[in-house]
Amino acid sequence: MSTDLDTLAREKLSHVLRDHPDPASLDLGENLVDTYGITSLNKVLFLTSLCRAADIGLDNFTEDDLAGMRTLGDVVDTLRPHAAPRG
Amino acid sequence: MTASIINRIITERPTHDGSLTITALGHRTTVPLSSFHDRARAVAGALHRRGVGAGDRIGILSANRLEWVLLDVAALMLGAQTAGFEPGKFSPGADLVRRYGLDALYTDTRLPDDAPSGVLPISTVADYAEEDPDGFEPEQWTATQCTTVKFTSGSTGTPKGLEATVGSIDSSLNAVQSLFAHRPGDNILTFLPLSLLQQRYWLYSALHWGHDITITTYQSVFAVLPSVRPTVVMGVPAFFDTAKRHIEGVIAGGVEPAEAAAELFGDRIRYLWTGSAPADPATLGFYGEVGLTIFEGYGLNETCITTKNHPGAHREGSVGRALPGKEVVIDAEGIVCVRSDHPVNTAYTYAAPGESERMFQPGGMVRTGDLGRLDEDGYLYILGRSDDVIVLDNAKKIIVRPVETRFRDTGAVAECVVYCPSPAGLVAVVSPHPGPVDTAAIRDALAAVNAVSERDERIIRVIVADEPFTVEGGLLTSQFKPIRKQIAGRYSDRIDDPKAGLLVH
Repeated sequence: MSTDLDTLAREKLSHVLRDHPDPASLDLGENLVDTYGITSLNKVLFLTSLCRAADIGLDNFTEDDLAGMRTLGDVVDTLRPHAAPRG
Repeated sequence: MTASIINRIITERPTHDGSLTITALGHRTTVPLSSFHDRARAVAGALHRRGVGAGDRIGILSANRLEWVLLDVAALMLGAQTAGFEPGKFSPGADLVRRYGLDALYTDTRLPDDAPSGVLPISTVADYAEEDPDGFEPEQWTATQCTTVKFTSGSTGTPKGLEATVGSIDSSLNAVQSLFAHRPGDNILTFLPLSLLQQRYWLYSALHWGHDITITTYQSVFAVLPSVRPTVVMGVPAFFDTAKRHIEGVIAGGVEPAEAAAELFGDRIRYLWTGSAPADPATLGFYGEVGLTIFEGYGLNETCITTKNHPGAHREGSVGRALPGKEVVIDAEGIVCVRSDHPVNTAYTYAAPGESERMFQPGGMVRTGDLGRLDEDGYLYILGRSDDVIVLDNAKKIIVRPVETRFRDTGAVAECVVYCPSPAGLVAVVSPHPGPVDTAAIRDALAAVNAVSERDERIIRVIVADEPFTVEGGLLTSQFKPIRKQIAGRYSDRIDDPKAGLLVH
């Protein structure tokens, strides 16, 4: 599942970014604001899209959680415990 | 004038079924407005017992939350004034208390060690709401009394403080209601800071006219929109631009436009409200194409809502006609001036010397500083800011807003602010979109903009900002408007360096 979530997260972040870079090129450790220039409004759109695609309830997270998601890796790590295993 | 709405909402417990929802990521609370009224009265009683009363001033420095609006309505009941401070722009220390004459200050930020005794956590208000109102009865306001101090959001430097009269609030509420007829079944969603008085108008409207209201935050708004299913969304251009890009992406993935729009905004939208900054015509057109009606309006803190497109009178490209109780006049210099039957005020309470005189004219007229024109049917078109007029060596005046809008509308940049540091020509500082900067696209956009600009309006250099302009970074107001002076300050070295940035070849 973690691989699925990684892939989905990359795809959804690429979707939010204007030039839709190759999802594989996105670095899990880079800062979403400093490196990818994501705004607060885009960040919550990204999380919303990712949760919908991964079938994870948005109500599992708070604004503090969102603030703590500084990198793509943070996002994946925060969401992973809530992701249902897939066969 | 008819009975004051403010006086009615604090005196009369709602008998309708309207409700208030406070929500954000991870939480949602809905209370009937009748119950909200009871709690606000309890808060008023608790404050009264703690020595806060008519004529006092209560500061609120907090993100949007239930206690914010409980305090606001409780202060109205007490005859006390509120001063709403935008989070992140003020600190809850002794200086704030002293500077603005606060008798109490409630905040959600960590209290400094030397906080005065009147500075309290806003969570305290939830406890007040559980107390017995103990026979407390609301005060009544006169039309010229001021319920609140509102602060400009800072697009022109240090925030100015302006007290708002009850008459102006009543007048605006009645005028907006006459245009949009908000009613039971409507749910108005608002997410901008409650320190902006107009955001609280929707609560007052809900208390009076019985519709629902949802208050959230800009950090959470897109997460809660679909499940809240509002009928009206109060937004600003940057919000609608971001939503547009998202919906376009969903449509590109094969989803029907109306379905893609409903996926984000919910399926009950009656109309979208935009104001506070000029909307991109392409954005306005987009919402029409996906089946969502959007109405642009115009107003300043100093005038309150002045013009508005609405279902009964809507003209593309304009910001609508004057509301009942407002008169718009274009003066000899082309500047929009606004006269109100019930002025917000006739001077700032907190401002540098001369600021009040520049804005507030004799006869209740406010000289906005915006350049505009009226068409033959009274629709107002905003052309730019008079402050943003650049006078060239050849005495030609350039209104920079159309140049900036032209650049932004290419889609290559999120925002554009133009300066004229030397006679050599205009220099643009642009805010890139999130993600890697596409220099080639920005160069192409520059060429396209210059190709349709008059010679003196051509941009000779483009400074690409190091990161997108953001509210948190101090380069956008809370309503997402670029802060021209701050941007100039941040990038002054490069603006003044003739070799910096992308040059026109």
